[in-house]
Amino acid sequence: MAEFPKARDFFESSTAAVGDHELRRKLESASARHLDHFAQVKAEFPPYDDERDAAHRIKTDAIAHLDELLIELTSKLEARGCKVFFAEDAAQARDYIVALAKAKGAKNVVKGKSMTTEEIDLNDALARAGINAVETDLGEYIVQLRGERPSHIITPAIHLSKEDIGQLFTDKFGIEYTAEPEKLTAEARSRLRAIFLAADFGVTGVNFAIAETGTLIVVENEGNGRLSSTMPETFVAVMGIEKVIPRLEDVSHFLEILARTATGQKLTTYTSFITGPRREGDLDGPGEMHVVILDNGRSSMLADPVLREALNCIRCGACLNVCPIYRRIGGHAYRSVYPGPIGSIVSPNLFGSAAGYLPFASTLCGACKDICPVKIDIPRILLHLRWKESTGAHPLKWPRAIERARRGARRFAKTARYPRTVRALGKFAAMVLKPFAHDGYLRRMPGPFGNWTKYRNFPRPRPHKRPPS
Amino acid sequence: MAEIHKIIASVKDALGAGARSNPHDAAASAAVPVSPSAQRTELASTFARELEEVGGKFLGVLSPAEATDLIVDLAGELGVKTVALGQGIVSDMDAIGEALERADFRIVRTVPVADTERAAMRARVADAELGIAEADFAIASTGTLAVVSNANRPSSLTLLAPASLVIVQIDRVMTNLAAVLTAMGPSGVASNRLTLITGPSRTADIEKRIVLGVHGPKSLHVIVVWPHDD
Repeated sequence: MAEFPKARDFFESSTAAVGDHELRRKLESASARHLDHFAQVKAEFPPYDDERDAAHRIKTDAIAHLDELLIELTSKLEARGCKVFFAEDAAQARDYIVALAKAKGAKNVVKGKSMTTEEIDLNDALARAGINAVETDLGEYIVQLRGERPSHIITPAIHLSKEDIGQLFTDKFGIEYTAEPEKLTAEARSRLRAIFLAADFGVTGVNFAIAETGTLIVVENEGNGRLSSTMPETFVAVMGIEKVIPRLEDVSHFLEILARTATGQKLTTYTSFITGPRREGDLDGPGEMHVVILDNGRSSMLADPVLREALNCIRCGACLNVCPIYRRIGGHAYRSVYPGPIGSIVSPNLFGSAAGYLPFASTLCGACKDICPVKIDIPRILLHLRWKESTGAHPLKWPRAIERARRGARRFAKTARYPRTVRALGKFAAMVLKPFAHDGYLRRMPGPFGNWTKYRNFPRPRPHKRPPS
Repeated sequence: MAEIHKIIASVKDALGAGARSNPHDAAASAAVPVSPSAQRTELASTFARELEEVGGKFLGVLSPAEATDLIVDLAGELGVKTVALGQGIVSDMDAIGEALERADFRIVRTVPVADTERAAMRARVADAELGIAEADFAIASTGTLAVVSNANRPSSLTLLAPASLVIVQIDRVMTNLAAVLTAMGPSGVASNRLTLITGPSRTADIEKRIVLGVHGPKSLHVIVVWPHDD
């Protein structure tokens, strides 16, 4: 993610995505099914809201003590025989892992699902060093075969139909075409199993890291995270600095809500608690275990008292599923590894001011805030980021437009104090603009108002009607 | 209505004056006692229901001897030739292994390995069509098995074979995740790898349709063992 695409690219990709009816059908059906499951498990679990409060409290507290917890975690990890590396940015993390893979003479790298390794663009870096890394989560595997990136942080291939995937397998493997998910899954299983048994280097992400024990928790459904962390001789876990929580007893609060919001399950199929490399005589587990702890802009989020709250995120993906923007344009249009509401918050901080347009890609409807399992006030942070973008050191590319809007708003505020004038102006506008409207909307307006109609239609002003008293 | 007042008044007279405790407190302290065995049965049935809901198969609450017979039957039904078997925690896995051998199944017993033996042992475990392990705990509210692996009971037992069978003792079925983590404590969890298993391996990556057995076992069978002398 060396160069982040420009705002214009986002307007183009999102406009194209909105017009893609097939994509919308897939997104809508997946989101609707997801929300059904979630409503059901939530109804069956009365303490859900109490657990959310507990998770919010623990995470907020942990973030407030992040420095101490990272020191404790590091010393515990080292005491368990792990090698710990702190990476300030994506390049440092990439270089460390690539150098390690080279030093180990790694030939077969297997990867469990990890957004953090997507964030640092690890696969490309390994490929440049001549090392082939295979994504082993089924969705990630499919997306990698297509040469794409995931379009959802939990369901990477959400933008593809089973027919798309059937065709992909026929093209890549020369097998007979089938669109049955069972058969496609069985094909992927046998191909990946052979790769796992020969793997010498494994990489996964981390969901939670327990400071008091030096334990890393990896949550998944397929078993590829277990395989990636037990089969290879060398294992690397990559985590953001914000993943650390203080105590073992905190874990259950997060695990009780993560799967419910992420996938509508009570718990995910596999939750691995990994404490150090294998012990004497163990059949499974790596001989050598490395933990890469990544900052990459997170400490700058920590420094901002409003943004800090976004570090509570446990990457469940629920805010994507409820977001009216995400549900219409899908993940790829955002042009960021982290799409959707939470992505619009973290991307500008991880990838720099080039992603500054993302906080504007929101209606601020608040559905994300309502569903967030750790109660992050996403709309408030988005507003804060918009304010920062328009006033900060690197204001957006349209400062004049913003200045004009501000002046316009001030003028309107003055006029609005005189209801009769407002009514008269409204009547006038309704009369003058009527002939230009189509189906009740203005599609084009002159002068500075054109900035509005460039991206959306303007409702035709109508004569004021007194509310019934 | 007058009669009620009269009756109440005479009841009150008969009881005499003096301070009395809140009648509801008395009712609460006299709650019907729940026997430990009734509690266990309840937890086991909750566990069974939740396990089935995530696609696991509950084979029953059985005595050790019944469990052994059922495991031999299951291996036959699944049509497997080779069974990988870990050492037990409380259960007598040797008895199960011997019974399987008598029924002509090939047994791979996991034992501590030296670095030079690892590849060979792993190949043997990977070839087995059924893996049998004992769980440290079970979680009723989610249908989950908590399995700590070590040199005698590697994690592969519940991961590599297409079918997985896990046994767990009745007194180790707990109400929820928090109870299990409390029972194990930080040192127990950190002693080696702990895996929480909730149902067979699954994916919903293709059009959100649930498919079992993507990387791990396609089927998960669970027996809760209730020893006779307990």
